[in-house]
Amino acid sequence: MSVFMDLNIIAIADKAKLQSTIETAAHLGYSTVAINYVVEGQQKKQLIPKPQPVAELFEKFPIVQGKSRPIKVLNRLTVVVTDASHFRLANAYKDFDILAVFPKTEKLFHAACMTYDVDIICIAATEKQPFHCKRSPVNGAIERGVHFEISYTAAIRDSTMKKYTIANAINLMTTCKGKNVIVASGAEAPLEMRGPYDIANLGLVFGLSEGDAKAAVSTNCRSVVLHGETRATALGIIHTMKRPQPPSEQPEEETPAAKKAKTETD
Amino acid sequence: MVRLKARCVRTNKLFFPCFVSFLDGCGACVYVCRYLLCEVCVSQRSKLQLLEEKAIFQAVKSAVAKAHGEYGAALFSIGSKVTYLNAYTGVVMLRFRKAFYQLLWSALPFINSIGPQGRKVPCFFNCIYVGGTIKTCQKFLVRYDRQQLYRMLPHCKTGAEKQEVRRAVQTCSHSFYKATQQEDDDDDDDDGGEEGEEEETIVL
Repeated sequence: MSVFMDLNIIAIADKAKLQSTIETAAHLGYSTVAINYVVEGQQKKQLIPKPQPVAELFEKFPIVQGKSRPIKVLNRLTVVVTDASHFRLANAYKDFDILAVFPKTEKLFHAACMTYDVDIICIAATEKQPFHCKRSPVNGAIERGVHFEISYTAAIRDSTMKKYTIANAINLMTTCKGKNVIVASGAEAPLEMRGPYDIANLGLVFGLSEGDAKAAVSTNCRSVVLHGETRATALGIIHTMKRPQPPSEQPEEETPAAKKAKTETD
Repeated sequence: MVRLKARCVRTNKLFFPCFVSFLDGCGACVYVCRYLLCEVCVSQRSKLQLLEEKAIFQAVKSAVAKAHGEYGAALFSIGSKVTYLNAYTGVVMLRFRKAFYQLLWSALPFINSIGPQGRKVPCFFNCIYVGGTIKTCQKFLVRYDRQQLYRMLPHCKTGAEKQEVRRAVQTCSHSFYKATQQEDDDDDDDDGGEEGEEEETIVL
């Protein structure tokens, strides 16, 4: 059983275009997509965007190709960190289902792998990665269940970017040996998406083995989503949420119930 | 090789078996192929009518040459072909040699547009099935196209459209069963594919 996921669709202001991108994803057979909000950490006081509620996006979600259920849409935040102060405590990011971090320096990459409470570490696609992925932080990340993401849209757009993407991907693969890697699109337009089988095959170019390449679009993505869920809960065991009922009528109802209970015990 | 080619021309194009083996004086000579069923996705469906076998072949050829250089171009020149094209549904069947089809396939995601300079149609290839024979591809395609009809049904706006699609679904499922029954009875089957095509033309 394989359920394909694409965990990187760039959030754009044009709602119709975003809708058609998601429709294309459903047509291609992706059963889960994540809308990606990117935050550049340059400013002192960075603004974390409020994610648009998923339910507002569609009146009726498109049905996934080959399945009978509608597509699932998640929210994802990518924080671009150029300085250690840019990444704050996880509490600030709790509105999002998935949290990704894009480290720019080797020190931050090490910190992201070993300590940051994130689900995804992005690998540069539009530039040559300025540092080498070392064995120890990558192994630490794999042990913690953090995944590395390669996005392929830049490679499709431009041939120079293709060189960088492939070089960075192979650089990573030699270190992590194909474990804990996901391949996502990073698409802004519907025509930048590619089908899951094509991407699984494209993984061979990125230095993944056949099984790992397929896992990169299916099972690894699933574990990312589950990892994201555990971040919101206490170790994935306990989950607290507010009761949805309006509190106005509750006290009146509760007191008679308590009295009743007392009389019964008496 | 020459004999193989001659045979290719003589037999029905759609039913030419991929696994061609013929005993020569020198011994068995086997070519194993892989058929990639790809869907060409465009933004406007009317643009699909502009698709041509030649243009698709050129697009794939240049994409392979760009992605894998002269080595890729050399591999592409051996036994690659656009076997089938349906301009109504935008389904293309590509034939590659099995030995290196994965390398050639990895160039397909980098196709952005098809057509000659100036009349480019922005599109992308979405591989839906990889088959070893044309027959298995066809079986899949009939099933796939029927699924598309079911998907089309809720999107119909007018009653007439709905009726048309419903009728198409009924005819294709009936003929499909008839075709499969015939296949079970005797192995000579020339129905499956034609039914598949029929069904597609009805819809559009």
